[in-house]
Amino acid sequence: MSHLAQFVSITRRRLLTAGSAFLLAGAVTFTGVNPALSAEDPRNGGDIVFLIDSLGGTWIPNNSAISSFQGHVWGHVTDKLVYVDADGKVSPWLAERWEQNAEATEFTLHLKKGVTFSDGTPLDAAAVVANLDIWYAGRKNEGINPIALFPKTYDRADVIDPQTVKVTFKKPTLGFIPTLGYHGSILISPKTLAQPATQQADLAKTSGSGPYVVESWKEGDHVTLVKRKDYNWGPPAVGHTGPAYLDRITYKIVSEPSLRVSAVQSSQADVAYNASPQELKSLKDEGFTVATPRYLGFVNGWAINTKLEPYNDVKVRQALQAAINRQEIIDTVYTPDWKLATSFIQSNVPGATDQSALLAYDPAKAEKLLDEAGWVKGADGVRAKNGKPLTLTLHSNPYLATAKAIDELIAQQLGKIGWKVDIRAFDVVTFTDRVKYGGPTVPAYEVTRSFIDAGTIASILTNANNGENWFNLDDSDKTLNELRDKIAGAASTDVRNPLLNELQKYVLEQGYFIPRTQIVQRIYVQSPTLKGEVYNGVAYASYYTAYKSE
Amino acid sequence: MNRSYLDYAAKRIGQAVIVILLSYVFTFIVVSVLPGDPITNVLRDPQNGFSEQEIQQIIAAQGLDRPVLVQLWASLSQFLSGDLGLSMRSNRPVSTLIAEVLPSTLVLATSGLAVAIVLALVIGYGTQFLPRRYGQGLLRGFPSLFLSVPNFVIGLVLIHIFGFQLGLFRVINADSFWATFFAAVALGIPVSAQIAEVLIANLDHEARQDYAAVARGRGISQSRLFFRHLLKPSALPVVTVVALTVGELLGGSLITETVYGRTGIGSLVQRSVTTQDLPVIQAVVSLAAVAFVVVNLLADLVYPLLDPRVKLIGTVKPRPATGDDAFDDRVEGIPS
Repeated sequence: MSHLAQFVSITRRRLLTAGSAFLLAGAVTFTGVNPALSAEDPRNGGDIVFLIDSLGGTWIPNNSAISSFQGHVWGHVTDKLVYVDADGKVSPWLAERWEQNAEATEFTLHLKKGVTFSDGTPLDAAAVVANLDIWYAGRKNEGINPIALFPKTYDRADVIDPQTVKVTFKKPTLGFIPTLGYHGSILISPKTLAQPATQQADLAKTSGSGPYVVESWKEGDHVTLVKRKDYNWGPPAVGHTGPAYLDRITYKIVSEPSLRVSAVQSSQADVAYNASPQELKSLKDEGFTVATPRYLGFVNGWAINTKLEPYNDVKVRQALQAAINRQEIIDTVYTPDWKLATSFIQSNVPGATDQSALLAYDPAKAEKLLDEAGWVKGADGVRAKNGKPLTLTLHSNPYLATAKAIDELIAQQLGKIGWKVDIRAFDVVTFTDRVKYGGPTVPAYEVTRSFIDAGTIASILTNANNGENWFNLDDSDKTLNELRDKIAGAASTDVRNPLLNELQKYVLEQGYFIPRTQIVQRIYVQSPTLKGEVYNGVAYASYYTAYKSE
Repeated sequence: MNRSYLDYAAKRIGQAVIVILLSYVFTFIVVSVLPGDPITNVLRDPQNGFSEQEIQQIIAAQGLDRPVLVQLWASLSQFLSGDLGLSMRSNRPVSTLIAEVLPSTLVLATSGLAVAIVLALVIGYGTQFLPRRYGQGLLRGFPSLFLSVPNFVIGLVLIHIFGFQLGLFRVINADSFWATFFAAVALGIPVSAQIAEVLIANLDHEARQDYAAVARGRGISQSRLFFRHLLKPSALPVVTVVALTVGELLGGSLITETVYGRTGIGSLVQRSVTTQDLPVIQAVVSLAAVAFVVVNLLADLVYPLLDPRVKLIGTVKPRPATGDDAFDDRVEGIPS
């Protein structure tokens, strides 16, 4: 009985606290909040617990840095050469400044002095060269993968002096500097990098230069980080460069989503990762901080296999583009925190342009296009041509919890204009094995992919230069090939941005990519007493600037 | 210890080794024919952005493109030399991974078994002595009820009531006493059902025997009648059931550990199966086979101690490592 009374009183107190915090918070938005603008001074001390669905597989830095789960830990244990904020703005971090030649094939990085890894090794030019080399090549026979999105045009890096590195590329690589802020580009001590893969897999033996170091970890259970007291080289863009405020951060695995949220509600933890979108409104109403930052990257949508009938017909692809009611997806599956797609890249990516007109819901236009393409509605409401029904097989992306719900809604929308939609849901293992871009049974591949620099797009359009060939076009579309080469070879954003605009328009007009919504792949529910966190360009929460208020 | 017993023990150990080797090979083949493995799963994660050509290069560099039989031979040779290999998922030694999680599972499984036995005894006692008007019939329905409620449901209900509402434990501290206790309750309840069913049936049988009527006629207490006279003969089949629940406890620990956020063999298996981490799956299956065989051997050894009428026959027939009919082959004098 006394426990029950205590619970009731805690709930009431929590509600009062939450209510006052809500009033105080006022119009503060949580995405990309600048801690320098917070009304109260950050307080030193305190521990937080972050509940997460998983902490991934291996801890080999190259193989785990971009994991949606492990990336949280790496973001606190390591630093990067440049900082990229939620709007894609690049600013200095451990590279205080840089220069590039007119062709964007040579870059000179000037490093901050006095930076050390937690094992005492200086973070100097030699350390940066060791990192660049392993990002590019990995050590494949040992099981250390390269960082896939690191520019494949990399030639070499040379130490000019202890604080200066010269990086040379075989071809113009405008995306190099932003890529240094990508979550794969974490700086690790050369001593760790020299270790074999089995040693690198032990997180406790890995040294970074970040504001926290690993205090303890247990696979499948938790990682506890403790503040590094001599840290003094944070990114100026976040308004703080000294040691972190919080003493300790524990990432604890709780795989059941409702338990993660309940634990935050009952003050047993401070942050719950990946809550269900349907819960967010009520949690906000209870006074909890809800953050839905968007990463820089592609929107959630389909890359269409243009070799597969009937999607080899541009009119069918254009009909598909017009037949999807994207607003209804947000209204039904998501909350207003999600944004309509305005292109096939997220609207916060520098170089993204507003192509909303091409994505308008227009069922009449879709029906007309299908009529013109010879797909005639039958008595059962399904369109057919030469005796074959108009079908679309969807493979719900297991990396996005809401993918199947969206597929089901779209199936209804397409059904109204005569499309027969089959939905197949696989687990991650089966999905990665069977569902591939341009696969013979995959007319539409559902994309979830972040990137830092829009130049990445050039590597997905066709199969040239080891490209991913998302639309199975190979090199058959001359316009696309031309745009790809011009974007890849652009030496300045002034040259590249108009090309990117042209590309976005062309890809959407041709129905090569069918956007659904802008993607939010990381959802945070946070105690109102935890403040000052920052979300970077890949939507990871950094608690380097965070503190606990009274 | 007579010769026939030693022969019997040697044959049983030999059978156990064969079972373990066969389970190793069988697991390898089953997992190998399934699509994917942890390395290619990571490489094919769309977030990574590897092209198909790059993926094939990395797979070849790690020897994953070799024929299955070649890989099986390499794996089996390593296993026979006592090396469990490296986890494909985490790149850490499998022996380290198991050593990290085994204590937690042993604590949970032992506590779950203790809860199950105590609960079964309480139910058994109640079915014999609780007056009908106080729900004796209801007690007899408990085993069916316990069996029909999945243990993750029991686990979640216990967490919500005792963890979140009454604050007895924190979900983030899964190894605390109360968290372990309620995890053991969630694990033990379905297991208790199987034990209680067998116990009730045998108690009912023993209670109808003449010696029980005589004991009652002498006016001994209920507790003395239960513990001194009825329980001992009724416990014999229960030992078999308890031994067979090892599999149930291991399987149940998978779900319970996941729900309670505990790290243990169950959660290790869950992670390994979902990512098809073959070396870990093989090691755990072999370990489970060893555990199952050892527990069943122990159960056989306990039998003669519980009932002196049970003794080994001179000629021992081979028996399968597990199975309800095993006793008929090697013991006589089982109470009807």
